[in-house]
Amino acid sequence: MSAQTGVASIPPPPPSVRGFSRLKLGLERLIADPNPVWMRELKAAARLQRTPVVLAVTTGMMTLLVCSVGGIAAIDAEPAKVGVWLYHTFFSLAFALVAWMGPAMAATGIAAERSGGTWEALELTGLGAPAIARGKFLGALTYVTLYLVMLAPVGALPFLFGGVTALEVLLAFVVLGGVAILSVTFGLAMSSKFSSPALAILITLLVSIPASIAAYLGLGVGLSFAANGLWHGVAAGPPVWLPTAYSRAEFGVEYVTLLILVPVALVALPAWLFHEITVANMAAPSDDRSTRLRVWTLVAAPFLTATCVACGVAQNDAGWFIAGVVALLATYLFLGFLFAGEPLAPSRRVEARWAREGAGAGRRFLGPGVMRACTLLLLLVVGSFAALLGAAAVTLRVPSERDGVLALGGYAAAFLVFLTGFAAWTRARSRSSGVPKVLLLGALFLAVVGPWIAMAIAGIFESSERALLVAAPSPLYAFHLHKVISSGGPDLNVAVLAGSVAAASWLLIGLGLFALASGRVEQRLTEERAVRAGLEGVPVGSE
Amino acid sequence: MSALDVTAEAAGPASDGTRVSAPPPAISVRHLWHRYGSLDVLRDVSFDVAHGEIFGFIGPNGAGKTTTIRAMATLLEPTAGSVHIDGYDAALDPDEVRKIIGYMPDHAGVYERITVREFLEFFADAYRIPELGVVDAVIELTDLAKLSDRLVATLSKGMKQRLQIARTLLHDPKVLVLDEPASDLDPRARIEVRDLLLELRELGKTIFLSSHILTELSDICTSVGILERGQLVVAGPIGEIAERLAAERGSRETAAIALPGALEAPSGLRASGTGAPAEVGVAPAASPLDPGSELGAVVTPGGAPIPQATRKRLRLRVLGDSQAIVPMLEGGSGVLGVEAGPGGSLSLYYVGGDQYVAEVVRYLVSSGVALVSVEPERNELERIFLEVTRGDLT
Repeated sequence: MSAQTGVASIPPPPPSVRGFSRLKLGLERLIADPNPVWMRELKAAARLQRTPVVLAVTTGMMTLLVCSVGGIAAIDAEPAKVGVWLYHTFFSLAFALVAWMGPAMAATGIAAERSGGTWEALELTGLGAPAIARGKFLGALTYVTLYLVMLAPVGALPFLFGGVTALEVLLAFVVLGGVAILSVTFGLAMSSKFSSPALAILITLLVSIPASIAAYLGLGVGLSFAANGLWHGVAAGPPVWLPTAYSRAEFGVEYVTLLILVPVALVALPAWLFHEITVANMAAPSDDRSTRLRVWTLVAAPFLTATCVACGVAQNDAGWFIAGVVALLATYLFLGFLFAGEPLAPSRRVEARWAREGAGAGRRFLGPGVMRACTLLLLLVVGSFAALLGAAAVTLRVPSERDGVLALGGYAAAFLVFLTGFAAWTRARSRSSGVPKVLLLGALFLAVVGPWIAMAIAGIFESSERALLVAAPSPLYAFHLHKVISSGGPDLNVAVLAGSVAAASWLLIGLGLFALASGRVEQRLTEERAVRAGLEGVPVGSE
Repeated sequence: MSALDVTAEAAGPASDGTRVSAPPPAISVRHLWHRYGSLDVLRDVSFDVAHGEIFGFIGPNGAGKTTTIRAMATLLEPTAGSVHIDGYDAALDPDEVRKIIGYMPDHAGVYERITVREFLEFFADAYRIPELGVVDAVIELTDLAKLSDRLVATLSKGMKQRLQIARTLLHDPKVLVLDEPASDLDPRARIEVRDLLLELRELGKTIFLSSHILTELSDICTSVGILERGQLVVAGPIGEIAERLAAERGSRETAAIALPGALEAPSGLRASGTGAPAEVGVAPAASPLDPGSELGAVVTPGGAPIPQATRKRLRLRVLGDSQAIVPMLEGGSGVLGVEAGPGGSLSLYYVGGDQYVAEVVRYLVSSGVALVSVEPERNELERIFLEVTRGDLT
C-alpha cells in the first residue's frame, strides 16, 4: 500500500519482463503507485500560498500582452496575419517562460534537500538516487505544466484570428513540453551539484538564459530558413517554425528524419544525460556513479556518429562531413571532461556488489575507474572517426575535398587521443577529481591558443605562410590544413608535413601519457591497499 | 554482551558482506580509521554494542563522533577498518544495513510545508512499507497523535526532534543511531526525548547515541564510549568503568609511592589500539575507604588514606547550623576537608565512591543530624569523562 495515496502498490517488474510489457507495467505503477517524492512535492507545492497568485499574475500579464500585440497589429493588418504574429509572439514568450522558469524551479530541488538537512534521511530510505531524481523531475515538470495549462486559453487566441490551425497550436504546446523536459532535467542536473538553492538557481539561470537565447535564435530563427528551403510551406524567419512544419511539410524520409527523429533525439539524449548526471551527483562517492553515464555514452556516441555519417552521405557534401567532424570533436571533448573526474578504481562497495551479483567483464568495464573510462573513450574516438572518415573517403568524389576532410578528421582524432591520455595521466597523479578537469582545460587552452601566439611572434621574422607552420600544433591548424588541401597552393606539401608531424606528435604523446597513467594507477592502488592493510593491522601506539 | 567483554576476534567481521554464523553484536566496529587529506580523524577505533543496549558516544567537538556515526550509517566509506551492523558490513552491504538502522543526523531537517502525518506517510512510502497502519502505530508510540494534522513548520524544536525519531522508527529498525538527539532542546523536550528512548529500549531496540550532555547520558545509557582526538579512550558500562578507574587510581597511587614522580600516565585506561574492543584497567577495585587498601600509605592528619588523583565534593544541607556538623566530620577516614556555608549548607571534600557517601549519610543520620539533601559534585559519567580525556582538542 502507498500511505500517501492509500491505494495498493504494484511491485516493480522482475528483470525478466522487458520491452513493451515493462513499459506498460511502469506506466501502471506510475498511476497506481506514484513516486513518493513526487507526491510529497505536489502536496508541499499545493500549500505554497504564492502558487495561485503567481499563476494568475503570469496568465493575466500574458493575456494583456497578447491582446495588446493583437490590438496594435489589427489596426492595419488582416486577421490571418494578426493570428500568425500572435502565434509567434505567444509561443516565443512561452518558450522563454519554460526555458527560464523550468531550470530555475528544478534547480532548488536537490540543493534544498541538502541545505535543509533532509537529504541523508531521504538517501537512507533505500529509495535510490534514480527514483528520487525521477520524483524531483516529475514534481518540477508538473509545476511547469501547470503554467502551460493556465496559459493554454491565451495560446488559443491566434487560432481564433486565423493564419494558424488548431493543430499547429496544439503541436506548439507539444514542442513546449519537450523544451520543458529539457529545461527541468538541466535544472536538476545543476541542482545536484550544489548545496545552496540560491547559488544553484543563480548558476542555472546564468547558463540557461544565454543558452535558451542562442537556441531560440539558432534553432528557431536560423533553422527556419533551412526548413523553408526544404518545405516551402514553412515560413522563413519566424522562430516558431517547427510546429507549423509538422502540419505543412510533405511526409517522407526527410519528414521522419528531420522533424521526428532529430528533434526527439535533441530532447531525449540531453535530457537522459542530464538525468544521469543528476543521479551520479546524488550517489555517494563509494557508490557506482559511472556505469549509467557510460551506458549513455555507449548509446549517444554511436547515434551521433551514425547521424553525422548519414547526413554526410545523404548530402554528399564535404561541408556536412566537416560539420560532422566538429560535432564529434565537441562531443568527445565534453566526454573527456566528464570522464576526467572518474575515481581511480571501483570502491570496495562496488567491487562487493559486483561479486554478489556476478557481474561480467562487460559490466565491470563500464564501471568506475579512470582507465576504463579513458579506454572506452579512446575506442569510441577511433571508431567514430574511422566511420565518418571512411564514409567521406567513399562518398566524396573530388580528391581535394576528400583529402581535406580526411586531414581535418585525422588531426582532430589525434588531438582527442592526446586529450584522453592527458586526462588519464592527470587523474592518475591527482588526489582529487576536480584538479584533472582544471588541468585539462588549461592544456586545451594552451594547445589551442599557444601555437598561434608563437606564430604571431614568428611572423615578425618570417613570411606569414612560413610563420603559419609554427601554429601546426594547435588543433585549429587542422582547419587551415583543410583549406590548403582543398584549394591547393605552393605550400601544400609543407603544410601537410607540418600538420602530419603535429598530429602524429599529439597521437604519440597521448598514447604515452595513457600508458604512464595506467602504470601510475596500478601503483597508487597498490599503495592504497598497503596503507589500508597497515592501518587495520598496526596498533596506534606503534606508529 | 558489553563493550568490555567482547574481543575483536569474537565478533568475526564478515568481510564479504555476508552474515556471520555466530550471533553478531548489534554494532561491531573494528580498526576504524578515516583520513581527510593527511589528518586522521579516526584512529583505530574498535568497540562493540550488544543488542538491547543504549550506548552513549561521548567526545569533545572534533573528536570524530559524527565521522564514526556516518560510517555506521553507510554514508561514509572509512579509509580502513569495518563497521558491522547486525553482521552486515556497512561499507560493503549498505542496502541491508539501511534496512536495519534508523539514523537521525545531527541538526536533521524536516519538510516544513506538509503535515506531521504526511511527513511520516512520505517516509513510509519511501521505505516501501506495505502496511498503512505503521504510520498510526508510530504516531501513537511517539505521542504525536494530537499534532498529526499540524504543519511541520509550526512544531516546536522538541516536537520536530520527536518527529525525526518517529521517522527513524517507521521501518522498525533493530538499531537506532542518533547523532546529538537532544541538542538545542529545552529541558522539557530533553526529558521527553529521554523517556522516549527508554521506551524504545523496552521495545528491544539497540540505541547508539552521541551527546555532549553527560548527565542525560548517564541517566539512560547502559554503556558508553569516550572518543578523543579520533581515538576511543574508554568503552563499557558506566559503573564498570568507574570501578576500574578507581582501581587504576589505586594502582597509580601505589606506583607513585614506590616510584615518586611516576603519576603521569593513566595508561591502563586508554584504548590499547590493538584492535580489541576498548578495555579499561584490569586491577580489582580498591576503595580508599578500605583500611586494608594499599593507599593507606598516604593519609590525612586523621589517618585516612588520601589518593591525590581525585578530590570529590559532596554538597550537604542540614536543618540548623551546619557549623556544628563540621567537627563531626573533620579528621574522619577519607575526609580531606569540611566547609560550612550559609543556610545549613556544607561541603565535604573526600576520597571514595558511592559506598563512602552512603557511609557518611548513615553516620550523620545515626548521629541525629537532620539531613535535608545530599548532592555529589558531579555525576559518575562526568568524572569518568574528565578523568580519561585530556581536554586538548585536535
